[in-house]
Amino acid sequence: MSLVHETDYGTPASKSTEQVTLTIDGQQVTVAAGTSIMRAAMDTGIQVPKLCATDSVDAFGSCRLCLVEIQGRAGTPASCTTPVMPGMVVSTQTERLKQIRKGVMELYISDHPLDCLTCAANGDCELQDMAGAVGLRDVRYGYKGENHLDEAKDESNPYFTFDASKCIVCSRCVRACEEVQGTFALTIQGRGFESKVSAGALDDDFLSSECVSCGACVQACPTATLSEKSLIEIGQPEHSVVTTCAYCGVGCSFKAEMRGEELVRMVPYKGGQANHGHSCVKGRFAWGYANHKERILKPMMRESIDQPWREVSWEDAIGRVASEFKRLQEKRGRLAIGGITSSRCTNEETYLVQKLIRGGFGNNNVDTCARVCHSPTGYGLNNTLGTSAGTQDFDSVEQADVILVIGANPTDAHPVFASRMKKRLREGARLIVIDPRRTDLVRTPHVEADFHLPLRPGTNAAMLNAIAHTIVTEGLAKESFVREFCDLDAFEHWAEFIVRPENSPETVGALSGVAPEDIRGAARLYATGGNAAIYYGLGVTEHSQGTTAVMGLANLAMLTGNMGRRGVGVNPLRGQNNVQGSCDMGSFPHELTGYRHISDDAMRATFEVLWGRKLDAEPGLRIPNMFDAAIDGNFLGLYVQGEDILQSDPNTAHVVAALKAMECVVVQDLFLNETANYAHVFLPGSTFLEKDGTFTNAERRINMVRKVMTPKNGGYADWEITMMISNAMGFPMNYTHPSQIMDEIAQMTPTFRGVSYDLIEKMGSVQWPCNEKAPEGTPIMHVGGFVRGKGNFLVTEYVPTEERTGPRFPLLLTTGRILSQYNVGAQTRRTGNVAWHAEDVLEIHPHDAEQRGVRDGDWVKLDSRSGGTSLRAKVTDRVAPGVVYTTFHHPDTQANVVTTDFSDWATNCPEYKVTAVQVAPSNGPSDWQRGYKEQADQSRRIVRVAAE
Amino acid sequence: MIRIFVPRDAAARAVGADKVAAAVEAEAKRLGQDLQLVRTGSRGLFWLEPMLEVETPQGRIAFGPVTAKDVPALFAAQFGATHPLHLGKPEEIPFLKRQTRITFARCGIVDPLSIADYRAHGGYLGLAKARSLGAAGTVEEVTKSGLRGRGGAGFPTGIKWKTVADTAADRKYIVCNADEGDSGTYDDRMIMEGDPFALIEGMTIAGFAVGATKGYVYIRSEYPDAIRTMERAVSLAEAEGLLGEAAGFEIEIRVGAGAYVCGEETALLDSLEGKRGQVRAKPPLPAHKGLFGKPTVINNLVSLATVPAILADGAKHYADLGMGRSRGTMPIQIAGNVKQGGLFEAAFGLTLGQIVDEIGGGTHSGRPARAVQVGGPLGAYFPRALFDTPFDYEAFAAKDGLIGHGGVVVFDDTVDMAHQARFALEFCAIESCGKCTPCRIGSTRGVETMDKVMRGERAEANLALIEDLCQTLKFGSLCALGGFTPYPVMSAIKHFPEDFKRPPLRVAAE
Amino acid sequence: MSDDTKLVSMANQIGTFFMPQRQPDPAAAIANHLRKFWDPRMRAAIVAHLDKGGAGLDTAVREAVQRLKEADAHR
Repeated sequence: MSLVHETDYGTPASKSTEQVTLTIDGQQVTVAAGTSIMRAAMDTGIQVPKLCATDSVDAFGSCRLCLVEIQGRAGTPASCTTPVMPGMVVSTQTERLKQIRKGVMELYISDHPLDCLTCAANGDCELQDMAGAVGLRDVRYGYKGENHLDEAKDESNPYFTFDASKCIVCSRCVRACEEVQGTFALTIQGRGFESKVSAGALDDDFLSSECVSCGACVQACPTATLSEKSLIEIGQPEHSVVTTCAYCGVGCSFKAEMRGEELVRMVPYKGGQANHGHSCVKGRFAWGYANHKERILKPMMRESIDQPWREVSWEDAIGRVASEFKRLQEKRGRLAIGGITSSRCTNEETYLVQKLIRGGFGNNNVDTCARVCHSPTGYGLNNTLGTSAGTQDFDSVEQADVILVIGANPTDAHPVFASRMKKRLREGARLIVIDPRRTDLVRTPHVEADFHLPLRPGTNAAMLNAIAHTIVTEGLAKESFVREFCDLDAFEHWAEFIVRPENSPETVGALSGVAPEDIRGAARLYATGGNAAIYYGLGVTEHSQGTTAVMGLANLAMLTGNMGRRGVGVNPLRGQNNVQGSCDMGSFPHELTGYRHISDDAMRATFEVLWGRKLDAEPGLRIPNMFDAAIDGNFLGLYVQGEDILQSDPNTAHVVAALKAMECVVVQDLFLNETANYAHVFLPGSTFLEKDGTFTNAERRINMVRKVMTPKNGGYADWEITMMISNAMGFPMNYTHPSQIMDEIAQMTPTFRGVSYDLIEKMGSVQWPCNEKAPEGTPIMHVGGFVRGKGNFLVTEYVPTEERTGPRFPLLLTTGRILSQYNVGAQTRRTGNVAWHAEDVLEIHPHDAEQRGVRDGDWVKLDSRSGGTSLRAKVTDRVAPGVVYTTFHHPDTQANVVTTDFSDWATNCPEYKVTAVQVAPSNGPSDWQRGYKEQADQSRRIVRVAAE
Repeated sequence: MIRIFVPRDAAARAVGADKVAAAVEAEAKRLGQDLQLVRTGSRGLFWLEPMLEVETPQGRIAFGPVTAKDVPALFAAQFGATHPLHLGKPEEIPFLKRQTRITFARCGIVDPLSIADYRAHGGYLGLAKARSLGAAGTVEEVTKSGLRGRGGAGFPTGIKWKTVADTAADRKYIVCNADEGDSGTYDDRMIMEGDPFALIEGMTIAGFAVGATKGYVYIRSEYPDAIRTMERAVSLAEAEGLLGEAAGFEIEIRVGAGAYVCGEETALLDSLEGKRGQVRAKPPLPAHKGLFGKPTVINNLVSLATVPAILADGAKHYADLGMGRSRGTMPIQIAGNVKQGGLFEAAFGLTLGQIVDEIGGGTHSGRPARAVQVGGPLGAYFPRALFDTPFDYEAFAAKDGLIGHGGVVVFDDTVDMAHQARFALEFCAIESCGKCTPCRIGSTRGVETMDKVMRGERAEANLALIEDLCQTLKFGSLCALGGFTPYPVMSAIKHFPEDFKRPPLRVAAE
Repeated sequence: MSDDTKLVSMANQIGTFFMPQRQPDPAAAIANHLRKFWDPRMRAAIVAHLDKGGAGLDTAVREAVQRLKEADAHR
C-alpha cells in the first residue's frame, strides 16, 4: 500500500469544448481553450515549478516560479495566468528562467526557518520540493535580515495550527477560504514585507474568527504553516485509502491517510464526485470519536435496565438476543418484535437488517430513521414524479440561475454542497430563501438572497401554493412543458384549485406573516429567472403536511418546466450519510428494495425464492407505531442498529414509556447512547473506518466505504453482527464480503441491476438507477419524460397543524442543526468540535426576550404540552418575533422532550418543526433533566470482566 | 472694472496664491475699484508662482512671483510695465513660448469651474466631432492620432479603446487613473485643478466611443484640491445635463487610500472595487475583464484629457507633431534641483540636455547637473553623457530608461548615487503591495544588501548580488513596481560606479 | 390499539388530503392508503373503532374504513 497520489495541475480545468494545440518544450499538446500553460504542461507530464498555484483555486500569479518563455513574446509570463493559444511555442526551462527561479527561491528561503528535519511537513512540503527543483544551493542574503521567524503560532483551532513563521504568503489559504469554501474568513493583512495571513480582524485568532474550520486552507497550504495537529503529533502517513465520510448526506470522498492502523488525517479527495476535494469541519477533522475512551468495545447485557451492564462474550450476547426474540414471539406472536436499520450504516448492512426482520423475524416491522426525516420526500416525489429521490446531481447547481432554498440550512447541515451553491451564487445566480429563521445563506459574504420569506413555522404548504398561484394567475407557467410531459387532466384539476383566492399571496401572506409582494416577487423570479433549482431539507418534511409540501415543490418544478435537465429539479438535502441508501434498501415497513410495495405478490415471490422464507404481505409497524404498540403491550422486542431513537425521536417521555414497556431492547452502537439506557443487550458496533461497504448520498450516488483498520470490537463489522443474529435465529446468512450483499441487492432490484463493486471501483461512484437502460448510472432524472410516465399534479390544500399556540404556549419552537455538531451528537460531542458548540441554546427574538425578562446567556425553561427542559437563551433577531429555535445535539438538553407526536399525514414523519411553547427564566436544569441524568448515570454502570 | 487672474492651483497656493488673492480683493475694496477676480489653474511656470495676471486691452499681462505685500504697489503702479515683477504677456515668456500647448491649452487661462469659459475656449467641440464621426469613427480618429498612454506604459490608446469597443458586455466602464504617485510629477493634478472639463469631456468621448455609460476618476487622497475641483466640476456638468442619465454617461469621483501601487491599473481596479489594492495577473486584460469583471478602458488622465483636442483639431494635427512612434506632445514636468521648474508641454523629440539646461536653466544650486531621473521614482538616472537622448519612448528605452509619466528630476554633483539606488529599493519596499515574491521580499533584501555595500561589507560580492536581484525583480515581478525598480538602481550602478566603491568595512579591533 | 383518538386523527389527516384530489372515489383512495401503509393491527383497531360507532371519523374516512373492513374480511 502507498499514498494515493493526486496530480496538482496548478490551475482549474477549463470547461471549454474548443481545442487548442501548442508546443511545450518541443512536445505537441492539445488541450481545451482557456487552459493555462501550466496545466497544459502538466497534462503532458511537464511540471513547471510553482508555489502559489494549486488546481482548487484560480490562478494568482504571485510566486513567480512558474514563469516561462513564449516564442515571439517579450518577457517571462507566468504559466499559471497565461492561457494557451494556438501554435504557441513555450519553453519551461531556459537559462534565464533558471536564474529567475533560483533568485526567487533564494528570497523565499532568506525568510524561512531552516528546520526541515524537525518540521511536520518534512517530506510533504512544496517549498522544500521547489528549492530542490530549482537547485538552490546558497542564500547570499544571509539569515540576519528582517524576517518573520519569530512570528507567534496560532494554536487556537482544535484541529490545526497556523505557524506564521513558516508562511510564504502565497495566499493559497486565503483564496481557498474565498473561492472553495466561500467564507472569506482569511485575508492578507499589511502590505509589502509586512504582508501576512490573518484570520478576521486584528485581535482575532482562528477560533474566534469567522473561520468554519472546513480545512480548505490547510489543504491548500504548500508548507507546514497550516498543519493538522494530528499530523504534527504522529508524523507523515505512509499509505492512504479512499473512503466516504460517515457524516451528512453530501457523501464526501476522503483519503484516510494512515500510519499502519493509525489514522493520521482525513484529506478530502479531489476525485470525489460529490465533493471534488472539499470538506467540512466534521468529515475533515471530527473523526476522533472512533478512538474515544467512551467507545464500547465488548458486548454487554443485563436482565433489567436497573441493573449495571455486564460484559459478556459475543456468543453469549448473540445467544441472548436470539433466545429472547424467539421467546417474545412465542409469548405475543410473530409481530411482537421488530428492528430499526441505521442510516449511518452501509447499504449492505441496512439490507441485511431488513432481510433479517422480514426473513428471520417473519414480519415487516422494520423502519429506519428516514421515518423521522425524509419519508415525506419518498412518498411525495414518488406520487408526483415517479421516483423517491432527488432529481439532480450536485454538479447541476453550477448551471442553476435561480436557487430556491426552503426549510434547509445548507451552510450548517450540508456545508460542502453549500460552498458549491455559494460559489454559483457569487457567479450571479439569484437566491430565494424560505425559512422562518434568517439562515447564514440569506446574507453571507458576496451572497445576498433576493428574497427571504420568513414564514411562520407550519405554513410551508400554504406558501408554496401562493407561489404557484402567482405563477398561474400571472401567466408565468411553462405551458408547453406541462402539455408535453404532464397529466393534463390532473393539471387542470390542480389549476382550478390553485387559482382559488385562499391560495393568493394576500391570503397566505396574512397567515404566514410574509409580505404578499415578496411572495409574488419570489414567484416571478422562480418562474422567469432561467434555470431554477429547488433545494430543501427537513424544514419541509418534518411537518404534519410534510408530504403535501414536497408535492407542492414538485408541482412548482413541473409548472415551470424546471425538470429533466441540468441546473433545475427538486433536490432533497438528505440528513444522514446513508439515509437515501437505507430507504433504497427496503428499510420501510411497506416496501422492499427499490421502493416496491410488499403487497406485490410477484415481486415478493422472487425474494421468497432467494431467501427460502415466506414473507408477510402486510406492511409492518413504523417507528411511532412501534412505540404505540409497545405501550399497548403488543410489541416487546426491538433490534436497533446505529440509531438513538430516544434522543432523536419526538416526545421523549412517550419514547421512554415505550422502551420501558419492551422486554428486550438490543442496541448496536459505538457508544452507550440514550436508547441504551433502556436496553438489555448492547452490541458494540464498528465505525465507518472499520468496514467495507457503500453509502448512497443525497444525489443517489453510491460511494465506496473502505476498511482502513480492524474493527476494535473484536473484529466484527456491523453486517457481520447482523449475520450472527440471523444465523442464531435460524435464518442462515453466509456472506464473506459486502460485495456479495451488493450483488444480491443488484440481482433483486431493477434500479440497482447494474451496480457492482467492480463498476463502482471503475467509475469512482455510480448514481442509481443503474441498469440495462443506464449502465453507467443516472446523474439527472426525468430527462425526456417522467419516470412515472406523466408528471402528476396533486392538490395541496393547506391544512394548519393541530399544534396551536395559545395563551399557555404562545411561541412556536422550531429545531435544526449547527455546523459543528451532527444529529444526536454521539460522534461530534466526542471530538474537538465542542469548541464551537458545547451546548444547545435557545434562540429568541429580543422582543420576546424583553417581555419575559430574559437576557442573553440566561437559563430559560422551555415548556410545551409534551414536556419541558431548560437551556441557555441566545437573544437574536435571526428568528422572528414569536418564533424560538434550538438544536437537538445534546442529551443534556433533550429538545425532543418538548416536541409533540403530531406527524405527517402520509408517513407519520414527526412534526419536529412546529411546537407551541412557552419560555420563562429559570435557575438551571429542570426536574426532568435531573431525573433523566440520574437514570442515565445509573444505567451506564458497567461491570468489567477481568482482562483475559 | 479690472479683471485679475490668480491661480488656485495647489502649487501656487503652496507659495501664497491665496494670500495674494485676498490682498488683491482687499486692495480693490480699499481703493473702491470694481474688481473681477478669477481663480485659474496654473500656467505651470512654478518659479514665477504666485503669478498674477491682469486683463488689458492688449491682452493679459503677468506679474510674478507676487507676494501679498507686493499687491498695493501693483495697484499703485496700475499694473504697468514699470513694476519690477512685470513679466509682460505670459505667452511671450520664453518658457511658455517654446511650448506646444494642446492638452494644457486652457490651463491657467480659464476659470476651471466655468463651463461657459470652457466652451468659449473650444470646449465640447471634440465631443461634437466624436458624435458626428460615430463611435467607430472616434476610435479610428484616436488611433490615427498616435496617442499613447501617458501614464508611462505608452500603450496606443486607440487600440485599447478598440479592444473594449469590440468586447460585448452588458456594462462597460471608463476609468481615469488620477493616482499620480510618481514623485516629481503633477500634470494630472494641474488638469484637474485647472481644466477639469477637459477630462470630463475626454471621458465622455471615451464612453461614447466604446459604449460605456459609467466612468470613475480615481484620485489619490494626497490631492484634496483636485478632488474638490473635480467633484464641483462633475456636479456642474450634471446640472447642465452634460453628465448623468440624460447625457448617457455619468462620472463618479473616487479617492484612493495612499498606496502608490494603486496607480498600477489592475491594483487600481481592485481598489475601486473595494478590495485591498493588489496587482492582478494579466491576462485577462482590463479591456476584456476590468472593473467588476466588465470590459474597461483604464487610461491615464492626460491621455483622456488630450482626446477632446485631438478630435476637435483632427488626428492629423496631433500626429504631425513628435518623432518616431512618439506622436503629439508630452507634458514634461521639470522638478528637483532646477532653476526653472514647471510644466513644459512640447512635441516629442527635445533632448534631455535641452530640457535640463535650456528650458530648466540648469540647477537651482548653480552647481553642475550630475544626474537626471526621468520617469518617476522607477525611472533611470541619466548622466550628462546621455543628455543627447531625445525625449521619446523608444529612444529612452534604447538607453535602458523610460520617459514614464514625463517627470524629470534634476540632481547636482552633491548627490550620492548609492544612496539614490538604496532609495529606489526602499521606495519599492515601502510601496510594495506584497503580492509577488520578488517585490515583497526582494525589495527589503535589496535595501539590506545596499546597506552592506554602502558600509563596505563585502561590497563587490554584495553589489553583484544586487545586480542578480535586479534581474530577478525585472523579469520576475508581477507589475512595474518591482519590474522597474532595477532601472534607477542599475542605472546608478552603471553610470556612477564611483559612488559604489566604498572603503572596506573595518572591524573594530577591541 | 387503545388510543383510538390518535388513530382517528391520523385517518382523518389522510382523508383530508385525498378528498380534494381528482378522483371519482376518495374513499377508495383513502382505503388504499390505509391498506398500503398501516400495519394490520392498526387497521383492525380502526375497524374496531368503526364498529363501536366510529366517533370522530370524517364521512369519507368512515366510508373508507368500512371498505377496509369488507376487504380485510375477504382475505
